[in-house]
Formats: sequence, structure tokens, C-alpha cells
Amino acid sequence: MSIKPLYIMLCSGEHEKIQLAAMVASVAAVSDRPVEVFVTMNALLPFERGLSPKQRYHGGHFHELFMTKNVPDAVELFGQGKMLGELKMWACSMVLDLQHWECDQHLTEDLFDGPMGLAKFLADAESGELITI
Amino acid sequence: MAERQKIDARGAFCPGPLMELIAALKHSTIGDEIDVWSSDKGSASDIPAWCAKVGHSVVETSEQDGYWSVVVKKAK
Repeated sequence: MSIKPLYIMLCSGEHEKIQLAAMVASVAAVSDRPVEVFVTMNALLPFERGLSPKQRYHGGHFHELFMTKNVPDAVELFGQGKMLGELKMWACSMVLDLQHWECDQHLTEDLFDGPMGLAKFLADAESGELITI
Repeated sequence: MAERQKIDARGAFCPGPLMELIAALKHSTIGDEIDVWSSDKGSASDIPAWCAKVGHSVVETSEQDGYWSVVVKKAK
């Protein structure tokens, strides 16, 4: 039986939600499940190139704990998922346009596979399971 | 000859110990064993579940003084 790919639409810029998306994506990818993550809206802002963790992450109670305990960094988790499994990350082309950003100039290095439009992502996601965070 | 390597992931939170194990397995050969030490309670069930899914063997799981030891054998 073939494994259905997992598609994640990440919309929120809250640290807790980015952390959850990174955990789900990386663990699924290293468990032999193909994963594609579409990063859109405020969720793309923390991936701006050159930000420190303090500048990158904002959130509530668990954000404070993530920043002070030995919790894996979300961006590093996404990177590990890419390195150890089949994980692709796509930046929403509309948000890139609004921000006047280019993937290869303004987003965290070696994380994104390129820009993607919503219609293409939704069409691709019909072959698997889609979750929105 | 098969080797046993220890990963001390105590103090790391989920999914840190699992990711450290997977990174170590990538650089191991078939038959090697990796003993993961984790203070994250979920690791005691997460690591065996992951092994069952991807095809590695769990040699033993034991609770030590404040942490779990999970020994995994690379099977593929």
C-alpha cells in the first residue's frame, strides 16, 4: 500500500503553530512519508533571512518555554526533515509578491524549494492528506 | 563488526531524541546498535513506534534513574 503524502498549509506566524508544523512535518518525513509544506500569510514572515531566534519567534506561554528550554528550533527541524526525509517547502507566491521578496534572496537559506501558487498546491494536495495550521 | 553507540539526548525535548537517533542511524551500518538516553517521556513509545514503521529493531527499552534507555539495531 502506497503512503499518502502529507500536505501542510502553514498560515500562522505564532511560534507555537510554527513549532507544531515543524514537528509534524519533520517526524512524518523521517517516517518515510513524503511531506509538502505551503507557507503563507504571516507564517512566511519568521522565515525572513538573517533573523535571530528572538526576532523570528513570537507567541504565548509555550513560546516563552520554547525559548528557555532545550526545545529543537523550528527552522532547524524543517531543515532536518529535508535532510533526513522527503520534505519540500513552498513559499506562497502571493505573499512573496506583496512583500517584494524573492525566495533565494529574502528567505532562510536552503529551506524553500521555491515559490508556489495556491491553486497548484491545492491541486497537488488532492493526492494526499491536507492539514492547515 | 557491529558496534554500539550511545546518544545522550537527556534534556532535549520532543522530537529531539528521535531526530538525533535518525541522524546517527544514517551514518551507521546494518547491525550497529544505538543506545538513546532520553529524559523525554514520549521517547519510550515514540522511538519503538518509529522503528516499527520504518523497519529497524528495538533491542531493549528500560527506565533508568530519571531517563529512558532505548537500544535500536539498524536493520536496513
